Amino acid sequence: MKAGLLLRNVKKELEVFLQQLLNGLSSGGVYALMAVGFGLIYNVLKFSNFSHGGVMLIGCYTAYFAFKIFHSSLFLTLLFGAISGGFCAVIFEKLAIAPLRKRNAPKVYFFVNSINGGLLAEYLIVATVGVFFHTFPDFLGTANINIRQISFSKLNLTMFTISLITLFGLMWYLYKTKSGRAIRAVACDINTASLMGVDVNRVISLTFFVSGLLGGLSGVFLGISYTIYPQLGKMIVKGWMASVIGGLGSLLGPVVGGILLGVLETFLTAYIGSSFTPILEFIILLMFLLIRPQGIAGIIVEEKV
Amino acid sequence: MSFYQGVIIIVVINVIAVIGNFLLTGMTGLLSFGQASFMALGAYISGLLAVKFNIPFPLAILLAIIASVFVGFIIALPVVKLRRDYFALTTFAFGEFLKAVLNLSVTITGGATGLAGIPYKVNIWIVLISLIIVILLVRNFRNSKFGKECLAIRDDELAARSCGIDSSRKKMTVFLFSVAITSFAGCLYGFYTCYIDPSMFGWTKSSELVIMVFFGGLNSLTGVIIGTTFLTLSLEILRFTGAWRMFIYVLIMIILIDFRPQGVFANWELEWTTFEKLLQVPLSIIKKEK
Repeated sequence: MKAGLLLRNVKKELEVFLQQLLNGLSSGGVYALMAVGFGLIYNVLKFSNFSHGGVMLIGCYTAYFAFKIFHSSLFLTLLFGAISGGFCAVIFEKLAIAPLRKRNAPKVYFFVNSINGGLLAEYLIVATVGVFFHTFPDFLGTANINIRQISFSKLNLTMFTISLITLFGLMWYLYKTKSGRAIRAVACDINTASLMGVDVNRVISLTFFVSGLLGGLSGVFLGISYTIYPQLGKMIVKGWMASVIGGLGSLLGPVVGGILLGVLETFLTAYIGSSFTPILEFIILLMFLLIRPQGIAGIIVEEKV
Repeated sequence: MSFYQGVIIIVVINVIAVIGNFLLTGMTGLLSFGQASFMALGAYISGLLAVKFNIPFPLAILLAIIASVFVGFIIALPVVKLRRDYFALTTFAFGEFLKAVLNLSVTITGGATGLAGIPYKVNIWIVLISLIIVILLVRNFRNSKFGKECLAIRDDELAARSCGIDSSRKKMTVFLFSVAITSFAGCLYGFYTCYIDPSMFGWTKSSELVIMVFFGGLNSLTGVIIGTTFLTLSLEILRFTGAWRMFIYVLIMIILIDFRPQGVFANWELEWTTFEKLLQVPLSIIKKEK
């Protein structure tokens, strides 16, 4: 009798653990998308692109209105979000980054302007839509999938799968297509690439578009798993943390870092409480920077002379 | 009259906070996006000391500044040696961290409802005298040998290091100095408004402080002071336009940085010599007429 109860308790614990793991993986997938979109610009132009948060925000709101007007399905909504994010990133690049590049300005101005870009998106939303909270509906209902009598949320499973597929698609694009190779060449060395006949300005716009696609997609995911509000862009800090843990400057590092961060955060929230999570995360970040600043991937990008 | 005094006090406190940020960004090239949280730290610690322990307010301010500098040291320790982006984003994360701490510690700080009942101690004279002291301190600091070495680090860190300048140590010192000034501004703010809550010192405030430095010019203390006064006043005047004012403000900043990255005032600095030169114009005219 007692053993049976114990066994049932263990099973219950295991079930909760596995469910939390899936939650963590799904939010980790979103963080990975964010971190990779952020890292793409970092690899090419060597500055932390804070406007990525603004891109996520615009993507999320566009997707929300697309849903409101057309009653689109989940995949169509995601597509709307991604494409609007892409265009938003390109507009931002033309507005705030291209003039600085032409002037050969120090990196600090790129960084400040990217923060301005993020703020611009935030205030645009506050001025046009307002500060109210919105929510996406339950796209897939509250349906669960049962695997060996343990039920998993269908939405989380879908989100994790889509994130993984997108990341694999990105890898394929960067390593197997001509324009992907151009992006990698420019990331390696802008001047040499331009000497070899790569149209650098176009490749940089293209990079912003690709990173915007990822940003818009992650924005919609964030909107689905939390709420839609004008300060959503601040979540980019999670993407940056993921990049730091994984290693800025590498492409696969942020993916690992994002998934680690997502899982860690979910378990911290589940077992300690959501209000303590930012505190512990900050302490973990400081520890990480103190002990292994180069991240898991271990590439140090020095500031260029 | 007291309305205008209130506006002046708020403007001057803002100028002191921006000078703190200017010291950091203008002298070492580091960007801090948690500068408002150091204001919060100063305001909260001095406020709590005054409210809970009845400590006289100059001593409370002094203790608050020391505590803020200590916290700043712990945060900067892992990141001063790394790339500048790390510093900026770590200070940003610190802002989130502090907000969470302040919201959580309901029994001590009042949580999200804020800390009320701080004694009203700050009048316009205290604020103006502090501003003059801070300006003189920063000006002399910039002109000292230490300051010149810091400017060398900002312009070319590698070259400065190869000349034997210990860059991470210099960066740390300047950062702690700027934390002290910023938290001092926070203390003044707390003792003026008598009420503080965590949302006053959010990320918007931090980015405002950074934007004001870039508006005035990274190289010009005068520019930063005039620019901050102008921006704070214009934000107060344009308050009726609602959310669009911040949108337009940020858009102007982007265009300004695109086409005049050195800021409105660039390298121009108001010194005694400027007055002497101005005086010489009428003097020379008088001489010619003679």
